[in-house]
Amino acid sequence: MPDQLPEHPDWLWRTPDPKPSYDVVVVGAGGHGLATAYYLARNHGISNVAVLERGWLAGGNMARNTTIIRSNYLCEESAAIYEHALKLWEGLPEELEYDFLFSQRGVLNLAHTLQDVREGTRRVGANRLGGVDAEWLDPDEVRAFCPIVNTSPDVRYPVLGATLQPRAGIAKHDHVAWALARKADEHGVDLIQNCEVTGFVRDGGGRVVGVETTRGRIGAGRVALAAAGHTSTLTDLLGLRLPIQSHPLQALVSELLEPVHPTVVMSNHVHVYVSQAHKGELVMGAGIDSYNGYGQRGSFHQIEHQMAAALELFPIFARAHVLRTWGGIVDVTPDASPIIGLTPVENLYLNCGWGTGGFKATPASGWVYADTIAHGRPHQLAAPFALERFATGALIDEHGAAAVAH
Amino acid sequence: MTVDGFALAHLRRSPLGHLADRLAAAEATGPGGVRLREIPFLAQLNLRLDPAGPAAARAAEALGAPLPTLAGSVVATADLRVLWLGPDEWLVVGADGAAPTIEHALRRALGDEPGSVVDVSANRTTLELSGPSARSVLEQGCSLDLHPRAFGPGRCAQTTVAKVQLVLDQIDAEPSYRLLVRGSFAQYLADWLLDATGE
Amino acid sequence: MLLIACPWCGERDETEYHYGGQAHVAHPADPHALSDAEWGAYLFVRDNPKGEFAERWMHAAGCRRWFNVVRHTVTHDISAVYPAGQPRPVPPSDEHSEVTA
Ligand SMILES: Cc1cc2nc3c(=O)[nH]c(=O)nc-3n(C[C@H](O)[C@H](O)[C@H](O)COP(=O)(O)OP(=O)(O)OC[C@H]3O[C@@H](n4cnc5c(N)ncnc54)[C@H](O)[C@@H]3O)c2cc1C
Ligand SMILES: [Zn+2]
Repeated sequence: MPDQLPEHPDWLWRTPDPKPSYDVVVVGAGGHGLATAYYLARNHGISNVAVLERGWLAGGNMARNTTIIRSNYLCEESAAIYEHALKLWEGLPEELEYDFLFSQRGVLNLAHTLQDVREGTRRVGANRLGGVDAEWLDPDEVRAFCPIVNTSPDVRYPVLGATLQPRAGIAKHDHVAWALARKADEHGVDLIQNCEVTGFVRDGGGRVVGVETTRGRIGAGRVALAAAGHTSTLTDLLGLRLPIQSHPLQALVSELLEPVHPTVVMSNHVHVYVSQAHKGELVMGAGIDSYNGYGQRGSFHQIEHQMAAALELFPIFARAHVLRTWGGIVDVTPDASPIIGLTPVENLYLNCGWGTGGFKATPASGWVYADTIAHGRPHQLAAPFALERFATGALIDEHGAAAVAH
Repeated sequence: MTVDGFALAHLRRSPLGHLADRLAAAEATGPGGVRLREIPFLAQLNLRLDPAGPAAARAAEALGAPLPTLAGSVVATADLRVLWLGPDEWLVVGADGAAPTIEHALRRALGDEPGSVVDVSANRTTLELSGPSARSVLEQGCSLDLHPRAFGPGRCAQTTVAKVQLVLDQIDAEPSYRLLVRGSFAQYLADWLLDATGE
Repeated sequence: MLLIACPWCGERDETEYHYGGQAHVAHPADPHALSDAEWGAYLFVRDNPKGEFAERWMHAAGCRRWFNVVRHTVTHDISAVYPAGQPRPVPPSDEHSEVTA
């Protein structure tokens, strides 16, 4: 045994104590909170900012997701914000000076039923009209693009075709968080871990002017929630009820394997989504548990179902082993679209409801949220996602529309 | 079965008729023995009524036995098995061809009381699994405690076996079980049971 | 996998049940009297507590009856199972708070 531990690698950000107050306090150091802080500083020159995190940086959904990045959503409003994200992703490794293994290896959404085919071809059409790259592949083309998918006609749910977004792909999620954290820190943002927000400080006019935390009271010009599955536990403290429900969502990885899987395959019908990470593990997402849960773990039958689906589509995985499974807490809205913008409580801003699919949005989410906070009005891309849509009825119904959750 | 006087029985196909030989061939004898067969075309009547209302007593009289009120219990007569499906719902199972008679009797018993009598005979077929190993075969795909201390003759359950939703009815202590399963799931369940009996 | 006790059939695997979300949400007596925001809140907003939650479950693969459960959303501990239509039971700790205080 060495009598001395190896040197710790360089820290990527400082570990400051909280200051008495900040211009903006961001609650939650997941991807969205970090991106928000980064763009507040970079785009708006607001760097007197703290990001408060109850646990450790990226310990929530950010480093638990299956890292799928794509922008081929059906609704115009969604395609616009996710495509903005994809364009940002394309420049981000260089801008953040961090190779977080962004890989545009394409994403296939398989169609197994006539309804899937209709939905897929419709979405390809809509995407093309909206300037999002999209192709429709027949089963032979699917096999050519991803030879390990079982495209034989005699399986239970034969592959009838697929949508392909060539610019879509994956990235290494924890590195994305660290890259954003380092740059935000360089701009002067204080990243404060082990600091849970437990309450809000309000002035006589009801405005939020600070937060109570496990590390004391911190004043804030504006408070920006980016707490994903925990958002309603915070807004409940203000009597503000939100249309979100928090559910367990699980994922799993296999042991490290030789490169066998060249792309990302999603099948909503058989319910599986798989990619192979750079190290070699197969990364698969399982289904969402039907019940509400804050336990960061889900039910075993979801994993079992997920494995059965994976084997049906990829017989080659038959002898792979499940190495690890884990769960996150996803915040689901009735229309499966996020909520971004102002709230009835002055100085309180909201960014939540990304549910099972917010990783891909990380840079755009931070971009439009920072802009919304800096100017006190919704960014153009965020405006359709305002909380008011649940009163006006102008829902952005991605649930039924795109038929894919992640 | 007749419709307007024409005999139609020869046209009927049971969901597992084509598997009869394979089911018979899977029989194992001796202390680890197990037998599997389809009992096709049993009469099945779904009955719903208020167990505390006047129709309950009339139905009991018509059936020749009280409606079971204990969850998951079965009352049997010489010709019928009455299975508890819910606090106001039962499945009356009789011999092939008996459905019209049972339906008529139950409709009269129900009278004008709120409730329903529906002939669901075509909904499910019946697999019978019996023999000393029947329980251990079933336990491979059923999470209920089927040990005699918890389950036995006179007990039924709606549950899943190998993910298939079905009605399980224990007939005797040998043990013998009836698995009443939807026609569209019957082949899958039979295949699964054939596989499980081989283990 | 949760083990949930159906009030009729007893303990069964979670996979036999269908989840119905928050319990005790009454349909507004007069929907026309509501503002858009109130109607939206009725349609879309449900409690989402981190802790005990009164919720509806249905024994889908069994007796197909709806009933209510009080479940803790972190530990999944089930502290009460009671018929649909009955009020949420008062937890024993509240009942006896005077004694223990
Ligand atoms: C298994 C799984 C697979 C997924 N797969 C994909 C995918 O393939 N593609 C995709 O686009 N999306 C995916 N997602 C969704 C995506 O991960 C989330 O939408 C996204 O990460 C949410 O934003 P975030 O990173 O800011 O959230 P989080 O990382 O959860 O950040 C929220 C942070 O807030 C903190 N917090 C909460 N309460 C408080 C408080 N009171 N005080 C201080 N801090 C607090 C939490 O600790 C947490 O760190 C997946 C999610 C899961 C769970
Ligand atoms: Zn039940």
